[in-house]
Amino acid sequence: MTQTKKPKPGTKDAKSKSTLWWIIGGVLGLGLIVALAASIATEPEVDETVGFGDPTVEGNPLPVYASGTQDVAVGLPAPTVTGADWEGNPVAIEADGTSKIVLFLAHWCPHCQAEVPRVQDWVDAGNLPDDVELISVATSTDRSRPNWPPQDWLVEEGWTSPVIMDDQIGTVAGNFGMAGTPFYVVLDGENNNLGRVSGEIGTEGLDALVALAQSGTG
Amino acid sequence: MSAQTILFFNNLFAILTLVVLVAAVGLVVYRLVKGPDAAALLDGKAIWLAWVVALVATVGSLMYSEWFHFVPCRLCWFQRIAMYPLAIILLVGAIRREAVVKFYAMPIALIGLAVSIYHNVVQFYPSLEGGSCDPLNPCSARSIEMFGFMDLPFMAGAAFIVIAVLLAFYTKVKE
Repeated sequence: MTQTKKPKPGTKDAKSKSTLWWIIGGVLGLGLIVALAASIATEPEVDETVGFGDPTVEGNPLPVYASGTQDVAVGLPAPTVTGADWEGNPVAIEADGTSKIVLFLAHWCPHCQAEVPRVQDWVDAGNLPDDVELISVATSTDRSRPNWPPQDWLVEEGWTSPVIMDDQIGTVAGNFGMAGTPFYVVLDGENNNLGRVSGEIGTEGLDALVALAQSGTG
Repeated sequence: MSAQTILFFNNLFAILTLVVLVAAVGLVVYRLVKGPDAAALLDGKAIWLAWVVALVATVGSLMYSEWFHFVPCRLCWFQRIAMYPLAIILLVGAIRREAVVKFYAMPIALIGLAVSIYHNVVQFYPSLEGGSCDPLNPCSARSIEMFGFMDLPFMAGAAFIVIAVLLAFYTKVKE
């Protein structure tokens, strides 16, 4: 009677057998993981233009804002923007006699995600006076990043201010010299830049921007 | 690059991350129960497994930047600086069967892990890296979000943990 010899533990034979089992186990495990990843990687076809607009910008761009320094562009005329929100409702940044606070937001930016509810609460509390308009620009939209598309996020936050959807290359943001998000630009009624600031500013900062907008001087 | 392909690889790396983390926890528990004899479980294979983890992490990170065009942020670069050499050092150590390799690789893995932990904390507390987002690639913003919590630095951190655990299991190979 023939007997299959078991390799002695610790011998070369036993080691190669054990390595073989490790490789087989690894390949099988990886195969299972790949199959699982493929089975849950289903996403409905989406319109890649969602989250973008087609705004028109006229006029000279403002220089890029340098964070943490005095804005060198105070007093310069800001470009005129004609755009629309995600439903196609027209929104403009132009010299119409009303001072404006323009807020640039990126859906994936955690600072914007923290700032938006704060700003909305501040607006809801009646802190935005009638002679100052708050306009937001949804910019730096990126399909592959979380919290997309921006309109779903803003609707979820109960955002009530008019929104201009920036285009794929961030034309509006680029023309206002945006250096980071959130980014605020204060304009007088003639569309002149009174001051810009980048980052979370909270309600005290918003009050200061309103005071700046109402003063009409940067 | 289609969103479907990116989603597939996001899922793949996310599942792999969970699997290796569970394995790392299992190894640590085994070590606590078995004591020093636990190293015999993996024997010389620990170094090869650590190399596979470093290789997958390296290839994965290059895929995200070169194929999917995700721009690495500053902290991502520091983690890459730690991970990429590991893919080479561990391979050389595994081929040469040198136990001493763990004394070179372990500090690199631990430094990488420290950066990953900090990066994850920054994503939860963005104010640690300033008050605004760089419009291109801020460290505080998530590039992806798997299972509601997992981003690329989490995956990198898991890889560093597993490599460190496997290195701790690696003992001199007896011929």
